[in-house]
Amino acid sequence: MLIGIDVGGTTTDAVLIRNGEVYSTTKVSTERGNLLKSLLNALDEVSRGVPPGQLERVVFSTTIITNLIAEGKTDRVALLLIPGPGVNPESYVFPDSFYLKGAMDFRGREIQLLDEAEVRETVSRIREQGFSRAAVVSKFGQRNPSHELRIEEILREMYPDCKVELGHKVSGKLNFPRRIATSMLASATGERYQEFVAEIKKALEERDIRAPVYILKADGGTLPIEKSVAFPVETIFSGPAASTIGALALTPEGQTSVVVDIGGTTTDLALILSGKPLMASKGAKLGNFLTHVRAFAVRSMAVGGDSIVRVRETGDGVRIVTIGPERAGPAYCMGGEEPTPTDALRVLGLVEVGDLERAKEAVASVASSLGRSETEVASLIVDTTAGIIEKAVREMFLEWEQEPAYRIWEVLQKKKERPENVVGIGGGARGLISVVAKKLNAKPIIPEYSEVGNAIGAAVARPTLTLNLRIDTQQKVYSVAEEGEIVNLNSTDIGNFNKMRSKEAEALAAKLLRERAKRFGISEYADEAEIANSEVFNVVDGWLTAGRLFDVSMQIPAGLIPEWKRREKA
Amino acid sequence: MKLGFGKIRDALKGGAEKNTGEEKKERKEEELEPDRVEEVTMKTKTSEQKSEDASKTESKNEPENEPENEPMIPADRTGARKTGLIFFPAFDWAISPTHPEREERLLYTRDQIFEEGLMDLPQIAEYKPRLADFRDIARVHFCIPDIEAQATIPHRISAGSCLVLADALMRGEVKNAFALVRPPGHHAMTVAHGNRGFCNINNEAILVEYLRKKYGIRRIAIVDTDVHHGDGTQEIFYNDPDVLFISFHQDGRTLFPGSGFVNELGGPKALGRTINIPLPPGTPDEGILYVLDTLVLPILKDFKPELVLNSAGQDNHYTDPLANMRFSAQGYAKLNEKLAPDMAVLEGGYAIQSALPYVNTGIILAMAGLDYSCVKEPDFRPGMFVQAARDRHVLEEIVATQLENWKNRDRLVEAEVAKHGDFYRRKKQIFYDTDMIQEFQEETVRMCPDCQGYVTIDSNAHRSINDTRIFGVSVPIYACASCQAEAREEYRKRLNYPEYEYVYLQDKKADEYRAYNTRKKQETVY
Repeated sequence: MLIGIDVGGTTTDAVLIRNGEVYSTTKVSTERGNLLKSLLNALDEVSRGVPPGQLERVVFSTTIITNLIAEGKTDRVALLLIPGPGVNPESYVFPDSFYLKGAMDFRGREIQLLDEAEVRETVSRIREQGFSRAAVVSKFGQRNPSHELRIEEILREMYPDCKVELGHKVSGKLNFPRRIATSMLASATGERYQEFVAEIKKALEERDIRAPVYILKADGGTLPIEKSVAFPVETIFSGPAASTIGALALTPEGQTSVVVDIGGTTTDLALILSGKPLMASKGAKLGNFLTHVRAFAVRSMAVGGDSIVRVRETGDGVRIVTIGPERAGPAYCMGGEEPTPTDALRVLGLVEVGDLERAKEAVASVASSLGRSETEVASLIVDTTAGIIEKAVREMFLEWEQEPAYRIWEVLQKKKERPENVVGIGGGARGLISVVAKKLNAKPIIPEYSEVGNAIGAAVARPTLTLNLRIDTQQKVYSVAEEGEIVNLNSTDIGNFNKMRSKEAEALAAKLLRERAKRFGISEYADEAEIANSEVFNVVDGWLTAGRLFDVSMQIPAGLIPEWKRREKA
Repeated sequence: MKLGFGKIRDALKGGAEKNTGEEKKERKEEELEPDRVEEVTMKTKTSEQKSEDASKTESKNEPENEPENEPMIPADRTGARKTGLIFFPAFDWAISPTHPEREERLLYTRDQIFEEGLMDLPQIAEYKPRLADFRDIARVHFCIPDIEAQATIPHRISAGSCLVLADALMRGEVKNAFALVRPPGHHAMTVAHGNRGFCNINNEAILVEYLRKKYGIRRIAIVDTDVHHGDGTQEIFYNDPDVLFISFHQDGRTLFPGSGFVNELGGPKALGRTINIPLPPGTPDEGILYVLDTLVLPILKDFKPELVLNSAGQDNHYTDPLANMRFSAQGYAKLNEKLAPDMAVLEGGYAIQSALPYVNTGIILAMAGLDYSCVKEPDFRPGMFVQAARDRHVLEEIVATQLENWKNRDRLVEAEVAKHGDFYRRKKQIFYDTDMIQEFQEETVRMCPDCQGYVTIDSNAHRSINDTRIFGVSVPIYACASCQAEAREEYRKRLNYPEYEYVYLQDKKADEYRAYNTRKKQETVY
């Protein structure tokens, strides 16, 4: 039996899946400030009466990292940065930064030496200033981490108690400011996250649950909880990821859908294109910081079932209806004080919640200032709300079509897809889904169990894994961005490096991915890995080819575990 | 045309004699023309004064039955804060595997600008490239045998990227824009028989004609900062008084394409609207910035263009393998800050590791109005290149001469126009270094009193085994009705001339483009 739990801002939802079908579901309210308790409450409730030995897998998605950052409950981190030539580091907005001399170039060649005296002096300063954690990040450190590694050595020697995070281990992708932010946030949240994981493990032991436990990442993949302490930041935004995977699980295979989660205050959107959740082209934004964290392309807007409905006069005296962005508390029909889209839906009979008379009263107040009938105005409110969502969906598709392209085939590729389905997840303001779908000329789908679609998503998500291999045959080295080690090509069984072809580079990537999957305990998914990108560049010196650069990206993409029996109920 | 000519010839020692020879030959051709002196009223000044409301006037002049030709009004850009950027490195295109124009060219630039996080900056808006339409290309070129043969997909994307940014600029979404794209284009001339100087089609020219057609822009200045003379762009706008073309480059006697001398000042009706500044080899930042401050910027201020474009080559760099200049990343950034182009389009630059990553970072930061003071090449030390006193003297002379020519441009035009009758002809020899083609051309410009006059080109391309002769007719966008009619008649007439394999009509006024294959008797309308 499988358990999925999504700890959301308002409620914590859980499902128990048996023989590939939903067996029981539960919703408990989230106790802000004690996520663990909410999580365990939901776990206990959903697994009541089930012998712990029968549980095969438990997956959580949690807002803990987001909360820690939002509440400022993070540790101070000294940033030891080696910016080298380029953008003036004074323009960065990172706190507690210490800039050091030294530089690597894009090929990982040292272009300026590290000043060890300066490093030692800086280490003394951060100790005096009471920092207990440091993140060391150098520009192009992923191409040559030797400066970062040397600073780590000096830190260990001079200040052994200081916890150190190295940029090249956090992300191997290009983008120094994002690597700084990601390293900083990983370091700042690491300790508390580790405590959280320890508490979960303890609580599960107390319940005699020995099933493997996973945490959901922003890219919709699961990660064994023990491994996750090394990547705390990757667990951000696992809520929207859970909903998207849930929608994937609850809709027909291979179709293009827009996933709409309408809440009280906000509506979240995600896209599934031909059966594959769309990833954001760049890493997620966390607070004020752009990071390297892979995440689904999601969009959140400040409109929901409980948004305030107002009448506003435009410049030329026309009266129009506006929705949100403020929240009215509960809808008027549910005992609130202001008219909301939920009241309009109630009047039109599109939802069954709340008191019809109060709903009519709310809509009437809007209708009178517009001088139109109640039904007309209720339709207008619903139409306006759906219009806001529709516009956002169209913008998301357009943004995807307009993503920059760096290769000829990417420019030529016809990116033109439109949603076949509008899938309602989360159970809020259901009546709106059909209106949005009609506007998009798509089929509305409100799946069975849609109110716990997020928890289902957590329960049935499979692991994801990426591997970015870079080979420089001129320098005779390769490196895996995710692992941060520069390895000599002589250690491989590749014979003549200069005659190396893409096929060999891809084979090496596949081999390394299998090894990595094994380390993560997800070997059984290694065969799902696909090549996301593979390119080769001849390095020409003078007029002769001096070597080759290969970049191979492989991934086990987000998807569903085979145990889940896809249902096509709408 | 001859003002200051002698002075410069003295200043630029060696090779000057050859120059003179060419000059004489060219003029002899002109003298062969029977002089039919007519009463010609100089229009240059008037047209300049008119230019502020040119777009409106022009749109009224458009034939009424073609409402789709009505130019769009450019949006107000004063509120725009971002720099538009298209980075199109064409990672899957090369002229040949080890050619300087190969896949790897912008690889390290990609690494640097992505590692710097430039695409994340709130001051940068990244756009997606598109393909330029055939019409966009036909508006500039006579492509032989057809557009597909010269403008392959990567060329169309490179040119199309410029057009995407032009639209963003004209819609007021961005304050300026940089097309960091390859393949380059500034050596491509009107007639495209093949690849010259790594270029097949001219990105800047396609951009200019697009801006004029779609947005009714009239006065545009192109500043070509590539180390090689922008001979393609110069040739395309040589007779166009509305396009000011300024190129500084390494002296043509020492570098491809071997042109760009001070005496190349423009066709009779556009004299002074082509300004060449041949720089002595080894000129550092100091020299180029001197030319910018004392010559380029004052002329631009005087010309008052609606848009300034930078044909932004990066091969003036001190490490470039194909040239001998000593410009630095800091120099490039400062140049773009001072020039403040509305758009920059990448041209050459082949020091792909030692220069391009730093130069491009510098240019992007400078255009976005950001601090570029920390951008420098690993081996750069301030003060490592000093301008030689002799070279400084050479530059001072060039600046003085060209300022004089600029000041006297209207008089120059008047004097030159008086020498010609109804037509001005010149013969040209064009060498295609990449494709080894020798082209012989005769260009004829109608000396029209009412407009800049239509142009015809008779071109014969000699390859190792076969020759191709074509005839092209070009009607400028702001041509008068009688030039348009006359030009179209020229096209119709030539369709039956057996000596031409292809005959072309480029009617920019009507936005109509035709190519006729005389062997197959087929006409293609773009």
